[in-house]
Amino acid sequence: MQDGLLLQEGVIMMIDVWLYGEIASYSGNTDAGAYAHLEMEMTPGSTMRDVLSRLCIPAAERGPTFINSALSAMSGLQPDLGHVLADNDRIGIFSAVSMWPYQYRFGAKMTPELAAALKKLPGGGLHHAYDAEG
Amino acid sequence: MRKILRINMMDRSFQFEDVPKAYHDLGGRGLTSTIVSNEVKPTVHPLGPHNKIVFAPGIVTGTAASTSGRVSVGAKSPLTGTIKESNAGSQFPQDLARMGIKAIIIEGYQQDDKYWLIHIKWDEKAKAPKVAFFPADEYLDRGLYEVFPEIFARFGNKVSISGIGIAGERRYLNSGVVFNDTDGRPSRYSGRGGLGAVLGSKGVKFIVTDRTGAPAVPLQDKGIFEQGRKKLVDALRNHPITKPGGGLNTLGTAVLVNIINEAGGLPTHNFREGRFEGAAKISGEAMAQLVKERGGGRMGHPCHPGCIIQCSNIIPKPDGSELVSVIEYETTWAFGANCGIDSLDTIGELTRMTNDFGMDTIEMGGTIAIAMEAGLAEFGDGQKAIELMKEVGKGTPLGRLLGNGATLAGKALGVIRVPSVKGQNMPAYEPRAIKGIGVTYATSTMGADHTSGYTIAPENLASGGQSDPLSLEGKADLSRTFQEATAFIDSTGHCLFIAFAILDIPTGFEGVMEECNGVLGTNWTVDDAIRIGTEILKIERAFNESAGFTKADDRLPEFMYYEKLPPHNVAFDIPDEELDSVYGKM
Repeated sequence: MQDGLLLQEGVIMMIDVWLYGEIASYSGNTDAGAYAHLEMEMTPGSTMRDVLSRLCIPAAERGPTFINSALSAMSGLQPDLGHVLADNDRIGIFSAVSMWPYQYRFGAKMTPELAAALKKLPGGGLHHAYDAEG
Repeated sequence: MRKILRINMMDRSFQFEDVPKAYHDLGGRGLTSTIVSNEVKPTVHPLGPHNKIVFAPGIVTGTAASTSGRVSVGAKSPLTGTIKESNAGSQFPQDLARMGIKAIIIEGYQQDDKYWLIHIKWDEKAKAPKVAFFPADEYLDRGLYEVFPEIFARFGNKVSISGIGIAGERRYLNSGVVFNDTDGRPSRYSGRGGLGAVLGSKGVKFIVTDRTGAPAVPLQDKGIFEQGRKKLVDALRNHPITKPGGGLNTLGTAVLVNIINEAGGLPTHNFREGRFEGAAKISGEAMAQLVKERGGGRMGHPCHPGCIIQCSNIIPKPDGSELVSVIEYETTWAFGANCGIDSLDTIGELTRMTNDFGMDTIEMGGTIAIAMEAGLAEFGDGQKAIELMKEVGKGTPLGRLLGNGATLAGKALGVIRVPSVKGQNMPAYEPRAIKGIGVTYATSTMGADHTSGYTIAPENLASGGQSDPLSLEGKADLSRTFQEATAFIDSTGHCLFIAFAILDIPTGFEGVMEECNGVLGTNWTVDDAIRIGTEILKIERAFNESAGFTKADDRLPEFMYYEKLPPHNVAFDIPDEELDSVYGKM
């Protein structure tokens, strides 16, 4: 009841969070298994950094990340930390061992921040793995 | 001295021929496509007397080069009507290379409804391979899981087996050429394109190789080969995707399920949606969890001796006994998301049946999804999917219809939404959500194929890395150069997955070229890779044009241009001119 009231007043927003692989253990359930699904309450204006911070996920352990099905980060290239989230956004966070080779993602949707970061890299970021912080 | 073994199944005659000079530097796909182009008239019936089927190990296969146990099988495809190269990993091509066999060409036609087992064994005295033919009647109309142990018992545990299952005997358009894995299972497939039916049309049931006592593959320059081998090993051992404990080794190729699902590009319910509710339950992460909880299975299993990556798996039943090996990404997608099935146990059962019958899991899952679309089963009904598979195995009229692939089933059942290009069902990447791969599906010489466009480093691409990967134009240019790079890698005998490492680690790519130089005595540099790949594609493209294919065939199915795919709600919008520029600019 109280949550509903807070939602109505715009005091909190709901973020749909999916954690895959070893990252799932940061859901608070250390025996989470292959994945974890959380509904997180965040204050409006919260960013990806805030979500990672709340879940205590270290940057080095985070792999490919999605915001509303748009790729927002890869291991070593994480320009999405300041991305401001909206109510009902869906986030998918993978462990660093996960992967998305280039030929299976060229032409896929990505966030403007990631597109800009890739554009700055030689060859437009045509790589499978990145080792420099974007 | 390497030889080409030519076998005529009209009278079971054979001869070892000198390798023509023009074939000296060819291997794998480059060799199979060149031989098919030179010897098979493009207009022949794929299952008639004038098609030929060619087996070729890659250039470095059989040497100490890592991750190089790949075989190319080539012919005119009965599924697509195009030229076809279908690739698998096994000890079989390593045996051929060790015995000095650069390629096997099988020609002629089945006589008197008889099937044969061709036995190729190294003869110590003659210092050459010896060929014998055995009647194969006792192996007919039976599952491969039952038959393979009998063949190992008869010819020895160290032999390698290639051949066909009941699908190839029945000339199903979906019939693969099977190879054994490192534990003797009938689980490695040159699956795509119906090449099992071509082998069956020649009256060949099995080819068994025994290389015991055969010498090492001769090297023209041992020093340069060894230098290259070490460079590639270093790259594979250090890249996050290919290294031991890396993405492929830990989670298998199904590492992509959750990724592609989050991206909204996992084809679901016969390509109606791009996201599957049950994706996490059929993913690589879920398989790893299953192996951990149930015991008895294994992640990180090799398809051939000498593989560093080891991306295969063994999936256990609830009691820890073996359910099946292997469930690949494309397989768990085909029977899973595409059919709306979220149980790994059901997917494993369907995979085992497909292996047992000698078929391609991608085409089979796509066909079951078409059957569901037509109302023969509800999406998500795993039990009914298994019953449909049983029909395929029994060879009932419905089973035969489903055994002939998604395109034929779609026509027979009145389904418009058939996600195929050139008659071959699309794999597990939605081209409306991942448009670059849509360009490759549309224009590949092989029909819709996810293994046609692997990347190498941008500075080594023909476009010199000038294309903007984020632009529309970039997709056609990149797809072309990816296809060229892939044709080259498929010729080396290396697994395509080395591309992950050598894209990011340039010395690894140098290593591949040095390995080839060490075997062939050539002086190739990385710049030659695209040149060689381009030559292969031109040969394949010319064959297809002579077989009647035009640019009108380089299109995705119409529904993908007008039906928007959730969650992105996008249709395929790459203009025809852009697709035509893939080969127009080559």
